[in-house]
Amino acid sequence: MGQIRLQGIRKSFGALEVLKGIDLDIAEGEFVVFVGPSGCGKSTLLRQISGLDQPNAGRIHIDGRDVTDVGAADRGLAMVFQSYALYPHMTVRDNLAFGLQNNRMPKAEIASRIAEAARMLEIGHLMQRRPGQLSGGQRQRVAIGRAVVRDPTAFLLDEPLSNLDAELRVSMRAELAALHARLKATMIYVTHDQIEAMTLADRIVVLRDGEIEQVATPMELFNRPANLFVAGFIGAPRMNLIDAAEAASLAPGGLPRGAAWVGVRPQNLRLDDAGAELKVDLVEALGTETVLHGQLASGTRLIVAQAGQVDAARGDTLRVAAEPGKLHFFDDAGRRVEP
Amino acid sequence: MTMQGEAPAGAGNPAPQQAPARRSIGAVLAAPVGLLAHLLDGPMRFWQRLAGRGGMIAFFLLPNMAVFALFVIVPLGINVAYSLSGGTQLFLPSRSFVGPENFARLLTCDNHLAPATCRDDLFWIAVWNTVRFVALQVVVLVAVAMTTALILNRSIRARGFWRAVFFFPVLLSPVVVGLIWKWIFQRQGLLNWLMVEMGLDPVNWLTDRTWAYVFSVGISVWAHAGFYALILLAGLQAIPRHIYEAAEMDRTSPARAFRRITLPLLWPNLLVVIVLALIRAVQVFDEVYVLTGGGPGTSTMYLTQYIYETGFASTLRNPGVAAAASLMMGGVLVVLTLAQIALTRWRDRQ
Repeated sequence: MGQIRLQGIRKSFGALEVLKGIDLDIAEGEFVVFVGPSGCGKSTLLRQISGLDQPNAGRIHIDGRDVTDVGAADRGLAMVFQSYALYPHMTVRDNLAFGLQNNRMPKAEIASRIAEAARMLEIGHLMQRRPGQLSGGQRQRVAIGRAVVRDPTAFLLDEPLSNLDAELRVSMRAELAALHARLKATMIYVTHDQIEAMTLADRIVVLRDGEIEQVATPMELFNRPANLFVAGFIGAPRMNLIDAAEAASLAPGGLPRGAAWVGVRPQNLRLDDAGAELKVDLVEALGTETVLHGQLASGTRLIVAQAGQVDAARGDTLRVAAEPGKLHFFDDAGRRVEP
Repeated sequence: MTMQGEAPAGAGNPAPQQAPARRSIGAVLAAPVGLLAHLLDGPMRFWQRLAGRGGMIAFFLLPNMAVFALFVIVPLGINVAYSLSGGTQLFLPSRSFVGPENFARLLTCDNHLAPATCRDDLFWIAVWNTVRFVALQVVVLVAVAMTTALILNRSIRARGFWRAVFFFPVLLSPVVVGLIWKWIFQRQGLLNWLMVEMGLDPVNWLTDRTWAYVFSVGISVWAHAGFYALILLAGLQAIPRHIYEAAEMDRTSPARAFRRITLPLLWPNLLVVIVLALIRAVQVFDEVYVLTGGGPGTSTMYLTQYIYETGFASTLRNPGVAAAASLMMGGVLVVLTLAQIALTRWRDRQ
């Protein structure tokens, strides 16, 4: 249960084409994260899957059944909204029960499902409160609880953590991961936060301008980005991209055929007396890591991340070199070139 | 607004390099006010030293309170005085004091449900007419306003146009409303012309008791529904779209979504609409008076018309009785208003 197949999904709003033909297979029980910059179409894609929106073209299958023309109510999915979208005039208990009552479920069954979800999400003590009397984190738990009690084919989560403060976000992230491990249900999760994507996903779908740039596991995305966009989008600080002609000073050795750009992650640059000269203009000392921003003699900007603490200051000149075998190559069109 | 020749205040130019060549109209208009403030500064400071901060607050409130007293409190007092006086004289000092006689005249009945058994049968006819009017008008008005608001809240074609169409009657003077519909319903009016054209017999709409009542309700609904629809529409638009989407994901049928989500969330607006509609329905007068003149007979004579005719229009005018009747009507309106405030507070506490 919970296998989802998207075929050629297109969606336009007026003249603006937001989704330009999306093909994707999501396996049963998989945690898939849609990630991409604002306006890339990730939320729109989720809404097509939910049935709250109708695509202009393409088919959507859930467990082999074509649901393209089936309404949101009958797709068996549950959604957690960014704004939580709890019913403000109902108590937490009624919020959880409402969808089950719509299905004419027996009262005893409703009560046991609510009790189970309340225990799982630790919201039992909030049952008689209204959403207005809850904190942001508590509302988020209730919103997730409302989805959990439905026992849906798949969970759709639209930036569920973006309204929480940083600390709460980290703890809710861990809880979501635990929830997925426990329920083993298919989850589709939309976020613009690559840390959420990297930590939660079985597979990440990177979207840009309504098209899929790459679908891969988090580590594969990090280690073998399919193009310049993915290379720049995944990983913090961003991957350094250097004109191939300049790369020799950092990484002696030949370039693969067709390589126009060389990418090197800040973590894969090290201080090396034989390396290229870097004039440092910003030092970010994070304690566990030091991030140096600077310029090569050619004017190319470079970010270097060193584990631990580095004794450097603005204005210093350091020598840096890339670790062998840690370079990424891209052709003129920005596509990955294997070394 | 800027004077000719002055550069417009550009968003991309937050810090103009040179002062404008001419002063803006606002600055020109503000100059005398500034001068006045400058001149008053000294006396005001002196006055504040004498009166203290609390005294200054009272001082600034005084003009408003004076207007309120002059046009509300004083007339109310005069009205009470009239209600306790008798005779046909209009000049208050030449009227005789009769105590609660006017109220007794209005309230004395063998059976309040049968106006013919009352000392002032016309008053009770007007009371029961008003009750019948209010009962039907408020229900129909709220239903029409609600339906209109629900339709206008959907993404229909030319929504702005339809919103304007439904709000337009609200802008008309009640007399104009009455006249327009009179041209339609009168014996040689538009409706009868249409019926004759279609081969039907003309009907004397406004001389039929039932039709006159129905039309008096109908035109007042037509004239006011747009205003209440607007209040309800504002309430509907304040309900986040995501809540309906969550309900859709929860497999909520449209009827159940209306009952369990729209109605409870719209309740504050609905309450305001019901109470305002009640208050205005009790006061119904102008458009119906123009349309039917209270007829046929007394079948559409409502309370305000009774007060108007008793106090001003009849040959044997009786300002004392009119004043007593208007005070009683005012009492009903105060009760309705207090009920609205109590209900709103009760709901806010929930």
